[in-house]
Amino acid sequence: MSNLYIPHKARIKEIITETAANDVKTFRVVFEDESVWDSFQYRPGQFAELSVFGVGEAPISITSSPTQKGYLEFSIKKAGEVTTALHYSAPGELIGVRGPYGNHFPVEIMEGKHLVFIAGGIGLAPLRSLITYVLDDEHRGKFRDVTIIYGARSPGDLVFKWELEKWEKREDIRFYLTVDRGDETWTGREGFVPAVLMEVGPSPENTIAITCGPPIMIKFVLQNLEKLGFSPSQIVTTLEMRMKCGVGKCGRCNIGPRYVCKDGPVFTYEQLRQMPQEY
Amino acid sequence: MEELRRVIREMLAGGKVDLVIAYAKGSLPLRSTPVFIRNAEDAECAVFDATCENNLSTYLPRYAGKRLAVVAKGCDARSVQEYLRERQLDPGNVVVIGVPCQGVIGRDRLSRRLSGKEITGAEMDGDTVRVRGDGWEETLQLFEVLHPSCETCEVKEAPGAAIKLGEAAAAQVAEPFALVDDMERLTPDERWAYFTAQFEKCIRCYACRQACPGCYCKECFVDRSAPRWVGGTDDPSDTAIFHIIRALHLAGRCVDCGACVKACPMGVDLRALNKKLERDVRELFGFTAGLEHEGKQVLSTFRADDPNDFIK
Amino acid sequence: MAVKILQKKDLPCLLGKWSQSARVLAPARQDEMTNLAPWEPGAELDLGRNTWKPLKELFFPRSERMFAYTGDRMNAELSPIDQDHEQTVVFGVRPCDARSLALLDRVFLDERFTDDLYKAKRERTVLVGLGCNKPLRSCFCTSVAGDPHGTEGLDVLFVDTGDEYAVYPLTGRGEALVGELPEGSGEVEARASALADLARDMMPRYPAEVLPDKLTHMFEHEIWDRIHEKCLGCAACAYLCPTCHCFDVTDEAKTTEGHRVRNWDSCMFPLFTLHTSGHNPRTSGKQRMRQRIMHKFNYFPVNSGAIACVGCGRCVEVCPVNTDIREVISEIGEVK
Repeated sequence: MSNLYIPHKARIKEIITETAANDVKTFRVVFEDESVWDSFQYRPGQFAELSVFGVGEAPISITSSPTQKGYLEFSIKKAGEVTTALHYSAPGELIGVRGPYGNHFPVEIMEGKHLVFIAGGIGLAPLRSLITYVLDDEHRGKFRDVTIIYGARSPGDLVFKWELEKWEKREDIRFYLTVDRGDETWTGREGFVPAVLMEVGPSPENTIAITCGPPIMIKFVLQNLEKLGFSPSQIVTTLEMRMKCGVGKCGRCNIGPRYVCKDGPVFTYEQLRQMPQEY
Repeated sequence: MEELRRVIREMLAGGKVDLVIAYAKGSLPLRSTPVFIRNAEDAECAVFDATCENNLSTYLPRYAGKRLAVVAKGCDARSVQEYLRERQLDPGNVVVIGVPCQGVIGRDRLSRRLSGKEITGAEMDGDTVRVRGDGWEETLQLFEVLHPSCETCEVKEAPGAAIKLGEAAAAQVAEPFALVDDMERLTPDERWAYFTAQFEKCIRCYACRQACPGCYCKECFVDRSAPRWVGGTDDPSDTAIFHIIRALHLAGRCVDCGACVKACPMGVDLRALNKKLERDVRELFGFTAGLEHEGKQVLSTFRADDPNDFIK
Repeated sequence: MAVKILQKKDLPCLLGKWSQSARVLAPARQDEMTNLAPWEPGAELDLGRNTWKPLKELFFPRSERMFAYTGDRMNAELSPIDQDHEQTVVFGVRPCDARSLALLDRVFLDERFTDDLYKAKRERTVLVGLGCNKPLRSCFCTSVAGDPHGTEGLDVLFVDTGDEYAVYPLTGRGEALVGELPEGSGEVEARASALADLARDMMPRYPAEVLPDKLTHMFEHEIWDRIHEKCLGCAACAYLCPTCHCFDVTDEAKTTEGHRVRNWDSCMFPLFTLHTSGHNPRTSGKQRMRQRIMHKFNYFPVNSGAIACVGCGRCVEVCPVNTDIREVISEIGEVK
């Protein structure tokens, strides 16, 4: 009998500590059975349910891009039982992966348009999948100008530092890195992400903005994007809700009639404005 | 009834309280329902009779800080005293309106008495309960269908009541701890079989906990996920742990209002456990919960000169 | 399919025949409650009222193992739980409960993500209904698109016409159970239909049909301040509701073996939506009550095309503080 809830077995290949506080780690995992890839065709913005057997399961956005073949990456903040257990795991250990679930970023609609990514803290994790996809040689030509604004509270809170360096060197994107407050080694920009967005001042003309980060950042980013002339349908974000089954059955991740696990996690600001303020 | 409404009306009209928690007529025969009265003109909906089974004190902590009045039977008023003792309410903010309680109808007992026949209509007249259904009618006396907690009630007058309406019934009809004596006469196996049968009925809806005035923890131990103390399955040991620990948490605090039993949709009845603890506390410490609100809780004090070694 | 007829005295014989090839469940009185119990020859049925526990429990148990695992952090074997494949016939299912399964099917059997645990149980079970001639005091199925003699979700419908049952086979599986019964006359059918009319007329009506549209604009309405106030925040209503289907998923583990399990859960509990970060989108009782009503009367209709309430009245009977969903429906219906 098939069973929707039995995860695929996957092995942790590599664990990268992302933050100075050691509270965010990126896990690179590979399926034990390679044939799983036939059914695990994902798109940027989707998530998976990760299992630590004996502890439980948690929904985590896939931070790798489908252009990266043969493995999946998840960046995970240590918070609850499952994420803590993952943080205590080591390369070589076995976990479970179910998915891919949820909708995805509207890549087709984004083609031929300028893209502005605005991320804060670990909010970069779900956007990184799309950024990597867009910057991939095979896809870069389909998109116009790419602007990335990324910030964190402190230099130590920045994630994907090795990737940020690569982005800084690329000539085909505009990349703005900021921290709320620097330290003695920080020579870069200081300032809140929404403020940097205003400084950069992207034009809304033929542009889509994609944002993810802490709720307070998103709130001001949305305000500022509107000030810059972006209409709600040009703004895309991805949401987090408490979730269990991931497949629209267990009944807890709804915002109004929309289930974040099935109808989301990616929503346009236009859609969000039609949903009750209960998230 | 008129007296009750007048008191509520005057309290609200005089601005003495912001909110009166009372009973109104319910939507089913022999049911009442809690009502939250904020305007003097709404006092007309207040009722009190033997259908008023809920312990309304359980709502009080939700409104802590407001000036409150609550319609209370003896047991409900005892719960208020325990809230005050446990500093969950400010004594200056709670007015207890003591109502003359003759005991309330035990719906399970009534249903058993009627062999499960559905009641479609009923009237109360003093101690007389007239019930009818599809092609039948019966007249019963209240004492025949009292809730078991009311049968053994020792405190029908509401302690700490600022207002007392009428005379409560004299004394209990049954020995308060007869249930415990009966249970203690059983063999351990028989007792365990009884409790297991209760646990097995439980569906973990937590109606007992939610209805209980003593269960006001911000986070109940069963809900805690890190660490997880109790599983959520229907494994009998998980269910047993929930009920047994809940009973222990209520030792010296339970006023035997019966709210847990009345709320349970599955007929789980663990009063024997609560009564046993109540008697132990009385015998060991000479303490009965809810008679007044001064003094410490009997099971949560620490003394450096405690006669027992383990505590030092 | 044409109506069949069964003399009442022959019912045990028919159940006996079914029980030769299937497990037969039927309502019986136990512990002062009417619930489904395994039927055996000589068993006494209680067909006077609906079961106390909802039918969903057969297909979506209060606690259910989803799969098993053995092993450690380096190696683990995952295995499905052996499903009981024994064919099951449930006799005496009330039309409201049968409809509840038709509604749950829209959640658990959706094409994109089929819940195999539920599906296996659905497939092995044949539902034999019993029309309601005498609605109980809290019944209101006709207000929520149900019918006391409704057939949705059933394989066979029995109607008590006095000394006999009018028997309507509704599906192939139903036909297999009752195909050999003699055909009933038009007179029997007329009697059954008159009883249905009578039962319909006995039930008061509540304006539930206006709720799906109306609630779309009522999320911020002041009515929620009132409706939730007496709610204690338990899950008696949800757990005994035949259509409520929320669940929690946890691991029950010993060192090297364990199970992933799902347990009933409820939107009435504050922890239901608590994020690990501490943020909770529904911190108040008002928000939680609104969620429950909105889910049944607005969200489910939007997503699945029907009100997620079958009017069985169980929540009305079990609520410790007599919150009456019929009153809630009426109150919302009256909002201008």
